[in-house]
Amino acid sequence: MKTLIRVLSVVLVLIFTLSACTSKTVTTGDVTLVVWDQFYREAETQVIDTLNAEFEAAHPGVKIERVVKQLDDLKTTLKLALSEPNGPDVAQVNQGRSDMGAIVEAGLLLPLDDYAEQFKWDARFSASVNKRNSFSEDGKIFGRGNLYGVSATAEVVGVYYNETMFETNGWQIPTTYDEFVGLLDTIKAAGETPIAFGSLDGWNAIHEFSAIQHIFVTGQYLDDFVYAVNNVSFDTPENQAAAAVLSNWATAGYFTDGYSGIGYDDITKLFKAGQGAMTITGSWLAPELLADTDFEFGFFLLPQATADQAQLAIGGVGIPYSIRKNTLHPDLAAEYLDWMVSPRAAQLWAEASYVPAMPLPEDFTLEERSLFADTVLAWNRINQDNGVGHYIDWATPTFYDTIVAQLQKLLAGEIGPDAFTSQVQEDYGAFLADQ
Amino acid sequence: MVFFYGLSKPTMNHRRSWPGESKFLGFVYLLPALVIYLVFILYPIFETFRLSFYDWKGFGSKPTLIYLQNYQEILQKGQFLSALSHNLVFIAFYSLLPILIGLILASLLGRRALPGMAFFRTGLFLPQILSMVVVGVVWRWIFNPAFGPLNMMLKSIGLTWLALPWLGDSTWALPSVGLIGSWVQYGFCMVLFLSGMQRIQPELYEAAELDGANEIQQFFFITLPGLRPELGVALITTVIAALRVFDLVYVTTRGGPGDATLVTSFLVYRSAFQQNRVGYAAAVATILTAIILVVSFLITRYQSKSEV
Amino acid sequence: MSGAARSMQLLPNYLLLTIFLLIVLLPILGITLSAFKTDAEIVAGPFSLPSEWSLDAFKRAWTVGHFNQYFRSSTIVSTAVVIASTFLSILSGYAFGVMRFPLQRLVYFVMLIGFMVPFEAVVIPLYHIMNRFGLTDSYWALILPQIGQSISFGTLWMTSTFLSMPQELIDASALDGCNRWQSLWRVLFPISKPAVFTLVVLFFMWTWNEFLLALVMVQQESLRTLPVGLAFFQGRYTSDIPLMAAGSLIVAGPIILIYILFQRFFIKGLMGGAVKG
Repeated sequence: MKTLIRVLSVVLVLIFTLSACTSKTVTTGDVTLVVWDQFYREAETQVIDTLNAEFEAAHPGVKIERVVKQLDDLKTTLKLALSEPNGPDVAQVNQGRSDMGAIVEAGLLLPLDDYAEQFKWDARFSASVNKRNSFSEDGKIFGRGNLYGVSATAEVVGVYYNETMFETNGWQIPTTYDEFVGLLDTIKAAGETPIAFGSLDGWNAIHEFSAIQHIFVTGQYLDDFVYAVNNVSFDTPENQAAAAVLSNWATAGYFTDGYSGIGYDDITKLFKAGQGAMTITGSWLAPELLADTDFEFGFFLLPQATADQAQLAIGGVGIPYSIRKNTLHPDLAAEYLDWMVSPRAAQLWAEASYVPAMPLPEDFTLEERSLFADTVLAWNRINQDNGVGHYIDWATPTFYDTIVAQLQKLLAGEIGPDAFTSQVQEDYGAFLADQ
Repeated sequence: MVFFYGLSKPTMNHRRSWPGESKFLGFVYLLPALVIYLVFILYPIFETFRLSFYDWKGFGSKPTLIYLQNYQEILQKGQFLSALSHNLVFIAFYSLLPILIGLILASLLGRRALPGMAFFRTGLFLPQILSMVVVGVVWRWIFNPAFGPLNMMLKSIGLTWLALPWLGDSTWALPSVGLIGSWVQYGFCMVLFLSGMQRIQPELYEAAELDGANEIQQFFFITLPGLRPELGVALITTVIAALRVFDLVYVTTRGGPGDATLVTSFLVYRSAFQQNRVGYAAAVATILTAIILVVSFLITRYQSKSEV
Repeated sequence: MSGAARSMQLLPNYLLLTIFLLIVLLPILGITLSAFKTDAEIVAGPFSLPSEWSLDAFKRAWTVGHFNQYFRSSTIVSTAVVIASTFLSILSGYAFGVMRFPLQRLVYFVMLIGFMVPFEAVVIPLYHIMNRFGLTDSYWALILPQIGQSISFGTLWMTSTFLSMPQELIDASALDGCNRWQSLWRVLFPISKPAVFTLVVLFFMWTWNEFLLALVMVQQESLRTLPVGLAFFQGRYTSDIPLMAAGSLIVAGPIILIYILFQRFFIKGLMGGAVKG
């Protein structure tokens, strides 16, 4: 056995030296910062490329090597890449336990607290935002401890509506939950699809469910649930009620025909083509709805039971930029992070119709009654009401897979709301027991 | 990855060394291949087996020995068994259906040579050489309920009720992906059996007819035994393809909706590389490998009986 | 029987074959046509002809979709694997099929295990071994394991080829003054060329289409091979059907071309077991 190991190591060392010869050489004095992000959409890419070019111009000798990935792609490859000796220096790391938590636990991310102080990030981000990008050093406690990332964009999940269609039919934007449900019936009766929705990709089914869930539960519950404190359960009457609503909408035919076989991008395309009066998704979609379409679109938050109630909605900040612990250029990487959340970045994001996570520049004027204004106002509203909810799939490392599978079963009518919440609780309860 | 006929013992005995030659010379020729094979295939197989007794995230912390706990979980929780049952359903689509089509066609057409067969053979064989990712992309398009040609066609001929969300429907997703497998495999089986039929002597059928055997009897007593070597190849190729299916599920459904199309190899990938449960994934991979080896062995034995 | 009557009799046979052939070909034809259409023309049905044979989708896939990079990776990896595996398989097949050495049978059997086990069985530790040596995110991580699996089959294939050569031929080359090396390349190799070529096309096809290994081992976009590139590409552009179709054709094109040119070898190789019977 010993000889075998020796033979193996000789072969591998040989191969290693071979590959070392072929790896590219870096000219001395120059620094290359490798950055992985998931801003693959056209408008996003323009913002990032502009920011990168300006950063390079301000730092002679520094080159940004940008690797763009789709979120799904990023999630699968990033953990492995960060553990490689020559992994990316800066990367967008999704929040939550399955991603940032696991990576922090493996000791692969640099705590950013010192830099936060140095660059005064606190002035740009609220405590509630920072919590979302924080973990204890062992990666076990979510929402406390060190800061591991800063986010450039804000997100709020709500209802996009086809304004043109609404005007033609004389439909009004609902202000209470009951009005919203009534509107669904009205639209259905008019022969249109009330909600464009496709669950094939899975993740947006979480948003569909959770958007409804956010009407039934309190902000405190969501905080407790996601950060795993105070021992809350998923198997509650509120969650069952939300599941029942979702399942009713499916059976009532409020969703796009054949929704279970249609992916997210296809739904976007259908909605843009006027097939569907509304669609429930995040503010990130706004820029895409502004281009190449014959329709006007607007955005509102899924309304609470009464109009004067504090508004709660799924929201948060976009996937944060983090720094790999073993990077050779931590200070430069931190400067890059600071640049990505600078007022200039806020300006560019807003010009591209994305809601920035940082305060909008003071001289920035919102075009009135535009789709972008709708999303910014929605984001401001939930911040005022202290009603920034959560992506519930951050809760446990396996929660995403569990809830997607259970939601698809719920939508197909294979399981009822009670079975749904108890199945999901099984995952959550097992996780709490492990902690 | 498909052929096992080499397992029947090769006749190396009649070879002899040349005068004055070291008896280790063979190793010199063998060595480079053997080393690469040992390092990159055999050693990792052992490592997978070893890891299956550990709990490990795959990076950061060290693996902890937990003995049989991974296997215990595999047997106790339904996930692995349901994934394996999906593989079994795939065997029906990848293996049984194509072989059935192939046999029926071969017995209908195979008794006389058809001019122009080469043309048909080229076309029928085509799916075999395509990347399964390409096949998956093509069929995802065909099955797409919003823009796909299948439902467009069904609606235009009035079968709107049949225009289902194929890949997203919890009942239909598994058979839909299975049918893609049938599409890939049946041409292969047809070509295989048709060429095998050429070997069976026509006199056998003539004699059987004289003895008053009907078509069905002829099929069971002449065609089926005559095609035994081809059946062996068809079985081993298609059954292993059904047990290993990964690319196709990755591209079309990622195991969804729910876990309706979750298969064993996808469970390995998901556990090891997405959920950071390396030990558990290794245990699933070990069982999958064992199943494939046993199945290959059984089919090879069935096949080699015919070669005696 | 007259010729006409005979063809009449065969007509149902051809009809049946044609139906099954169409089931195979129509999806491929549909995707091919889609690659040349505009978005609007897609709606007109899968088999409508494009008004103009536009190469726009191919250009977009090639540059915007990075298929130029994927194509480069696939070409590099496939070339390396095919050359190395074929050469090494000839050598090891020669050792097993022509020579005698201790433990011959045992080693042979051990080498056969390799092409029975799926990559699923090796990919987990393989990833971590490669990672430790800094080899992930390099072509080596794709090439070396693929060679490992290919030579397992190649050894089997070449062994059975060399085993079928008569001992007299081998001995005769010794009398002519050849050593073992010369005997292989001057005498046995020339008459084994068809078998070797079959091996080449099979290796090429397997490497070109390989997915799991490339999915796991390589995280960098620029090193991705075509199938992995296409899989991620489809997640990003599902509804842009001309683009998806063009991407698929770029992946499948080279292999189809080689198949049409050398189909004899493909079919012989894939049906190998039965042909031997």
